[in-house]
Amino acid sequence: MAAEEWSGELARHLGDRMLSLIPFARTLGRVKFRPEAALEVFRTVHDDLGFDHLSMVGGIDWVDHREVLYTLWSDRRVAYLFLSADLVGSDPHIETASAVWPGANWHERETWELVGIRFDHHPDLRHLLTPDGYAFNPLLRAFKLHEPEELEVKTRHV
Amino acid sequence: MSASPENAPRPQTPATAIPALPMADAAPAVPFIEIEALRAEQFIPAAKEALGAMIAEQGRDKLTRPIFNWAGRNSLFPLHWGLACCAIEFAAAFGARWDAERFGVVPRSSPRQCDLMIVNGTVTWKVAHKLVTLYEQMPEPKWVIAMGNCATGGGPFRTAYSVVPGVDKLVPVDLYIAGCPPRPEAMLDGILKLEQLIRERKE
Amino acid sequence: MSEMWINMGPQHPMTHGLWNLRVKIDGEQVLDVDPEMGYLHRGIEKISEDRHYNEVITLMDRCCYVAGMSWEHLYVLAAEQALHVEPPERAEYIRVMSDEFQRIGSHVMWYAAFVQDIGLMTPFLYGMRDRDLVLDLFQSYTGARMTYEYMRVGGVRNDLPPGFIGEARKVCDWLIDRFVEYDQLCLNSDIFHKRCDGLGVMNAQACIDHGITGPMLRSAGVRRDLRKDRPYSAYDRLEFDVAHAEAGDVTARYLVRMEEMRQSVRIIRQSLDWLEHHPGPVLAQELPRWLGAPYAPVGREGYLLKRNYPKGLGFSAIEEPHGEALAYVVNEGSEHPYRVKFRSPVFANVSAARQYLVGYRVADIPPIMGSVDVCVGEVDR
Repeated sequence: MAAEEWSGELARHLGDRMLSLIPFARTLGRVKFRPEAALEVFRTVHDDLGFDHLSMVGGIDWVDHREVLYTLWSDRRVAYLFLSADLVGSDPHIETASAVWPGANWHERETWELVGIRFDHHPDLRHLLTPDGYAFNPLLRAFKLHEPEELEVKTRHV
Repeated sequence: MSASPENAPRPQTPATAIPALPMADAAPAVPFIEIEALRAEQFIPAAKEALGAMIAEQGRDKLTRPIFNWAGRNSLFPLHWGLACCAIEFAAAFGARWDAERFGVVPRSSPRQCDLMIVNGTVTWKVAHKLVTLYEQMPEPKWVIAMGNCATGGGPFRTAYSVVPGVDKLVPVDLYIAGCPPRPEAMLDGILKLEQLIRERKE
Repeated sequence: MSEMWINMGPQHPMTHGLWNLRVKIDGEQVLDVDPEMGYLHRGIEKISEDRHYNEVITLMDRCCYVAGMSWEHLYVLAAEQALHVEPPERAEYIRVMSDEFQRIGSHVMWYAAFVQDIGLMTPFLYGMRDRDLVLDLFQSYTGARMTYEYMRVGGVRNDLPPGFIGEARKVCDWLIDRFVEYDQLCLNSDIFHKRCDGLGVMNAQACIDHGITGPMLRSAGVRRDLRKDRPYSAYDRLEFDVAHAEAGDVTARYLVRMEEMRQSVRIIRQSLDWLEHHPGPVLAQELPRWLGAPYAPVGREGYLLKRNYPKGLGFSAIEEPHGEALAYVVNEGSEHPYRVKFRSPVFANVSAARQYLVGYRVADIPPIMGSVDVCVGEVDR
């Protein structure tokens, strides 16, 4: 599909909910959308554009804001598409995609606990990989790793 | 970091009451041998106490310990669980080529039946308290092998926020096997080394 | 009605790894399930941010320990795009061959563990025996059985040793005959059919909704394979068919995996033919400075140092033995990747456990979860 045709189709369906389309090699590009209109964008992309398979949800911490990145696959178009939204503020949050793609459930739980992006109306926003009550978001840039501290070694009491 | 094995209740072995010898309570059949009655009243409890103490102190080491050691080291039952990469080599050791069962090593799925815990992989803080629970559930005497670099000291993941830097911070470890992951030969060598340790065990 | 929640795991023979399946049961009936993951969460994505690009490959082997080669391939493809590096063609064929051997190794390991779960003991010994042959091949050119650290950003570490191609052909011939044996052991067994037929059924629409990929999706009748649909490395120059089945149950997944192994042997034979007649370099001639120095192997030519490297985003998607694995690598112009993100196929397959477990019996859980082929390392990362 020609690039102009594709961007025209995107603009026709998404309208002003789409902010920009960044071309990306061997995919259909990276679509930036307004986070306020997330649910309509998801529904449009799923129902009208035919991206029925959600591969992953990830988050990137750009220090001044956080970006949530959805990777979608369409069997009809045989191609990948990225959806991304910039979330600013101290409590970054976006509407859940699990109402449209049920498979987003766990990906969003993971992104919530590791990158600290909250997903509104998520059916089951619990810790998945880290223990319950874990207070940190390890994938933020401010979270630094260090060599393990010295811990007491257990020995057998003879 | 909630798991603290020191705070966990350790199983207390109850002090075994020495069973009463049958002759102690038997009344003397012949009344005129009073001296026998005197011996029964005074000597037999004293002898019973001394004998019990001897069995408890000395006999357990010198008489029964070698037998237990011989039996234990020839049928080590490791706990059947897989933590990470080393678990695949652990499984390969029970395959056709290495056949660990010829050393009497048979993995059991219940910790109640095991006397050896092979920690084959990275231990995270999330699984730490379950590991300690499993260790506490195993009957004495029990041994622990830290298999691979992760279980020994965290390995390539030692800087991670979720990894215990070595399982010896949680349970006492008897033997470390180096390698990432160790080959099945190394695991079998570790088990043979552990058998040697059990043979030389004096407590 | 007496409902209760029971835990299957984290130490349970069914789990084949460290995870916990919480099951709500009424008698023998499974009413609800809730997989609990994270017991092997090692923070691989975070550690990668502190490492040089080539050092991340070390973590990839440990990420999925039954398919280390595939995960190395996934990462280096993404990193090459982020760093604008092109691997030589010979390296691509070696990667494809390694991938397919890894697929056989992973599927044979799955076969050994899965068929043991449903009560047949011989396949475990058969499977481990044949897997060791594949691992011997890996050992002959990477030096390790499971954790290879073989692929590099821009190619592979070293060329194949002399005599390797003949040995690999022998193993292929041996394996093709053994696959017939595997089928005879399982498909002629009543126990196998009684424990597997009609269990864990997923239809195509449910698979797509829940992001299920790989043999589970293809067993439901969807012929999707990234090696065909979005060919990477040398797959567009190789001939093979996409294995698929229609039933969507445990037996169908078994059939798909068996057919995939046969197709893998077909791909390996073609790439061996190519490799035999096309010698050449296996590592790119121009690499950015951070990939070479200060960790350049002594005496190796071809590390031309390039400075002022541009930023970039790399994305790759490969067909791993378990399904579709995706990765992106964000390069912000430093020696370390800014952000690495992986998508594990098993992560999505397990997350849909409620769809294929509810309604069956407790005794059906081991065969169904066995047919999913759970590798906890890549779920938890």
